[in-house]
Amino acid sequence: MAQTSKAQTENPSRERILEQIRAGLRTVVPEPPALRSGQVIFEPINNPLERFQQECVGNLMECALTADSAASARQLAKVLQSLPEGEAFVQDDPALRRLIELAAPARPIRWSSQGAPGEASQATVTLAEALIAQTGSILVTASCGGRGASVIAPCHIVYATVAQLVPDLASALSRVSQERKLDSNSFACVISGSSRTADIEKILVQGAHGPRRLVVILQTVT
Amino acid sequence: MSQTAAQRFLHDAAVKSADLMHREIIRRGMDSYDVAHLKGRARIKDWEAARQKCQEIKREAVNHLDRYLLQFEEKVIARGGHVFWAANGEEACTYVKNLATRLGVRTVVKSKSMVTEEIHLSPALEKAGIKVWETDLGEFIVQLRDEPPYHIVTPAMHLNRGQIAKLFREKLDPGIGSDDPADLMAAARRILRQAFFAAEMGISGANFLVADAGVIAISTNEGNGRLCTSIPRIHVVVTGIEKVIPRLEDLAVLWPVLATSGTGQGITTYGTLIGGPRRPGEVDGAEEFHVVLVDNGRSQLLADAEQREVLHCIRCGACLNICPVFRHVGGHTYGTTYPGPIGSVLTPHLNGIKEFKHLSYASSLCGACSSVCPVKIDLSHHLLQNRRNATEAGATKSSERLIFRAWRYAMLRPRMYALGGWSVRKALRIIYGLGLAGSILDPMRVWNRYRSPVPLPSESFRARWRKDLGAN
Repeated sequence: MAQTSKAQTENPSRERILEQIRAGLRTVVPEPPALRSGQVIFEPINNPLERFQQECVGNLMECALTADSAASARQLAKVLQSLPEGEAFVQDDPALRRLIELAAPARPIRWSSQGAPGEASQATVTLAEALIAQTGSILVTASCGGRGASVIAPCHIVYATVAQLVPDLASALSRVSQERKLDSNSFACVISGSSRTADIEKILVQGAHGPRRLVVILQTVT
Repeated sequence: MSQTAAQRFLHDAAVKSADLMHREIIRRGMDSYDVAHLKGRARIKDWEAARQKCQEIKREAVNHLDRYLLQFEEKVIARGGHVFWAANGEEACTYVKNLATRLGVRTVVKSKSMVTEEIHLSPALEKAGIKVWETDLGEFIVQLRDEPPYHIVTPAMHLNRGQIAKLFREKLDPGIGSDDPADLMAAARRILRQAFFAAEMGISGANFLVADAGVIAISTNEGNGRLCTSIPRIHVVVTGIEKVIPRLEDLAVLWPVLATSGTGQGITTYGTLIGGPRRPGEVDGAEEFHVVLVDNGRSQLLADAEQREVLHCIRCGACLNICPVFRHVGGHTYGTTYPGPIGSVLTPHLNGIKEFKHLSYASSLCGACSSVCPVKIDLSHHLLQNRRNATEAGATKSSERLIFRAWRYAMLRPRMYALGGWSVRKALRIIYGLGLAGSILDPMRVWNRYRSPVPLPSESFRARWRKDLGAN
């Protein structure tokens, strides 16, 4: 392998560390019995939509259920109107192009095809790869407008459909594995609420370095 | 003569446990953690099964550490990332420093990473003239105070809002009027925003390295970790070799368990996965992606059949929070990167048993730490084993060995033991009678200095046993 010699010069301790690990692992450590099969760690999810909505409340995020794309556009317009002046960053995707056209916001739009969101963005609008009922989370990847789209602006708006709901983290992660999402994206993130801190006296402050508001516009009909 | 680590520990422990304001701040912080933690645990249907699952995942990973690290490395390199293996802190710091110098880095933004504290990365970079911003609010606060983190999850939990507001006024902006936590966060956000957009390099840790997917996983709430890994053109991950886990799906249980044990949340706000530099066609992300795998004594623990499981630790801080010793002496007293029970177990392995054996005694062996550990590390027994190891290694003082030899001698000779007990009772009665309790002449000074003496029994246990106790 051509890479080996390069790796050795750039990584003088690599072989030594691996050797030490292997030497250490020769010591046999007795293993206690494994988990009994059939033990259920998390409560099974019977109604993913209901659970997702409940978890959104717990995560201090807003979830607006809409019937069709016209209603979603009205909801988007309403949220955008409530924000201070400034541009909105939007993932360049046909579905969001249509939605923005319907919502016709008064503010300037910056599309993700024009580059990353700037510091002055007041809102970002993106799609999600999936919604996770168990934890009230949205799953995004670099394809959803990039890495900064879900964290730079004070308000992140996600446009999703009920069909994107998966029951739990396990199913969301195995879907990521199966669809090789992490080979086609350098980044993915499970987002469960707006940014927060409790570093001062353990008091919860909503809106730390990332968004203060996370809004999910959840459309029931595709 | 300079103080040993043990002398300093005893001194600081005495000072801190008598500091009523410190105790009040910690008590309040821990009380709200306790409530959240128990509520969080109740959300998981079978907490014990969850702990066991996490233990099995970490055991599987640690028992095949070489294989999983190589799998992770291969994936990262295939995506255009770099992986550097550092045998110790110095190698890791030199690598990051050289990288920063080569790429013309002047400003670094950091998200929270205990491994970078362990290897003293920030001072190394600052010595090379690079400005380093800690961006986690708690880390930012302790950085402004020029202090190490007090706690591995909440670095500034020893301060109240008034102290933090005063610090911000002194160091950042004299105009900060309010001491409301939300306003203090907003002030930090304003300043750090400029740093995020100015920095050429972001440095993060990793909570997990996922072998099959070849990605790092970072859990953060504030979003600072997200910004550090999204905006700057270089992203460096500094982490320990033991952080690897076999499969992406393992996070389905590790994430909720880490969040529950760390803060009581069902899941941390951002569970971020990053596998390499920005791909062609992606909107943003670092152009350079480097992972520094730090050994720094960890691989030596693998050969320790009793304590290999110490490498399972996911740094949630639950053992610190429940520990009655931590709650009284506080995080800084330990004088180590990792305080609390896990630090007391780990530090003698990483930094030497001779200098840090005293930490094995900073425990009542109550076992609370073992009972909360989400990956079921038997911490209290490891503390006991470290005491034994220190003794066997001859790390104890000759005076201590002499006392124990005398005690053993007396224990094997009942008359001698009775005589010893009798003379100590007599001597103490005289000393206490003269009002010398707690003075330099009092053999019980360690206890009596800060407390009223325990009343002396009028007769020995053996005498009481003969008279009435034994009759029942």
